Amino acid sequence: MPRTILNIIFGLFFICFLINCERDDICLETTFGSPNFIILLLDLENNKTRKNPAGFLIRAIGSDNVLTPYFNDSIVLPLNTKEKISQFEFILNFGNENENIDTLQINYKRIDKYINRACGYRSNFILEQSPATLLNPGDDWIKGFIILKDTISDETTAHLGILH
Amino acid sequence: MKQLRIWVFYISLFSLTYVRAQEQDTSLDELPNSILDSLNLKKKTPLSFRFGTDLYRLALNQLNDDYKGFEAVADLQINQKLFLALELGNEKKTKQSEQINLTSSGSYYKLGFDYNMYDNWEGMNNHVYLGLRFAASSHKQILNSYTILNRTPFWPGEEIPINTGYATGERNDLNAYWLEIVTGFKVQLLNNLYLGLSLRLNRLISDVIPENFDNVFIPGFNKKTDENKFGAGFNYTISYNLPFSLKKK
Repeated sequence: MPRTILNIIFGLFFICFLINCERDDICLETTFGSPNFIILLLDLENNKTRKNPAGFLIRAIGSDNVLTPYFNDSIVLPLNTKEKISQFEFILNFGNENENIDTLQINYKRIDKYINRACGYRSNFILEQSPATLLNPGDDWIKGFIILKDTISDETTAHLGILH
Repeated sequence: MKQLRIWVFYISLFSLTYVRAQEQDTSLDELPNSILDSLNLKKKTPLSFRFGTDLYRLALNQLNDDYKGFEAVADLQINQKLFLALELGNEKKTKQSEQINLTSSGSYYKLGFDYNMYDNWEGMNNHVYLGLRFAASSHKQILNSYTILNRTPFWPGEEIPINTGYATGERNDLNAYWLEIVTGFKVQLLNNLYLGLSLRLNRLISDVIPENFDNVFIPGFNKKTDENKFGAGFNYTISYNLPFSLKKK
């Protein structure tokens, strides 16, 4: 019997073992996870231009983690994948006498999209008809909202504009 | 699981050495033809139908709680070298990876040919063969639970797997078609009893992709990888040979 046949068999053996290596079971660091929610603070009179409020601060309600909401010139907020809402305190003139806290609730639907077998799923969000609710009306510094993009599937553009 | 693989590996090794030992015997074939001629009676090989089962899958049932399955194998001798081969199977497997937990279950068939390249001595009937199969599966996949990929977990409890609603649930009516290049051997243990090992290199032709998911485990094909369309498998069979002859006058 020719030796080559045995070589072929051992070769196939080897290839089979190689294929069975669990390489694709590792989720690469570069894979994009669930997107964050991006907000722009816009001028009430001209809602195309940005307007930065004085002494502005955001706090999350329901998490002990420290929120680091700024990325370049946008406000980047994590949405809660466990709930259909996320709540934040938008604070104007923080630490001053005329401090004004507006508690804002973001309303959304969650849709989980398959990435691959190693990384599993990422959450995308769709903003509800009324994307945000003010939980403590009266003396609001936030005057309104405009949806810039209702599907939150990436972080390339802003999703919601806050008018003040 | 690791122990099982080691176990399988050793048995395979022993089987291989057995074939190699026999291979050395064949050097007698190189004797001058004049000596062998008188023995070389032209005798028709009887037709035979061989059927059996995959021992590896049977063992896996016992050793692995996440696996249920069997495979029946059969082949029909067409001529001295060529065999029509068939495998039928059913598998159910639950897989837990870092982010997802799924159960895949279904049936498959593999139909094709084996070509025996081993020159047997008179009276011996061993096989070292190359083969080709066309295979198809009909299966379903259930996503039991998954964890959402979140690069910077912020809210409490986000790492807890989701096991109802959203993307979880059953994906029915899935199919896959693939080709297998088979290499293996069958060793005659007793008169009509054979022990066989085969390795399979699989190439996926097409598959029905489940909605918002992927075919992670295809019964018969095994694991489908993200990067390429190749897979691998093997079986370790015991089979019984049923010789018969067609009446001819």
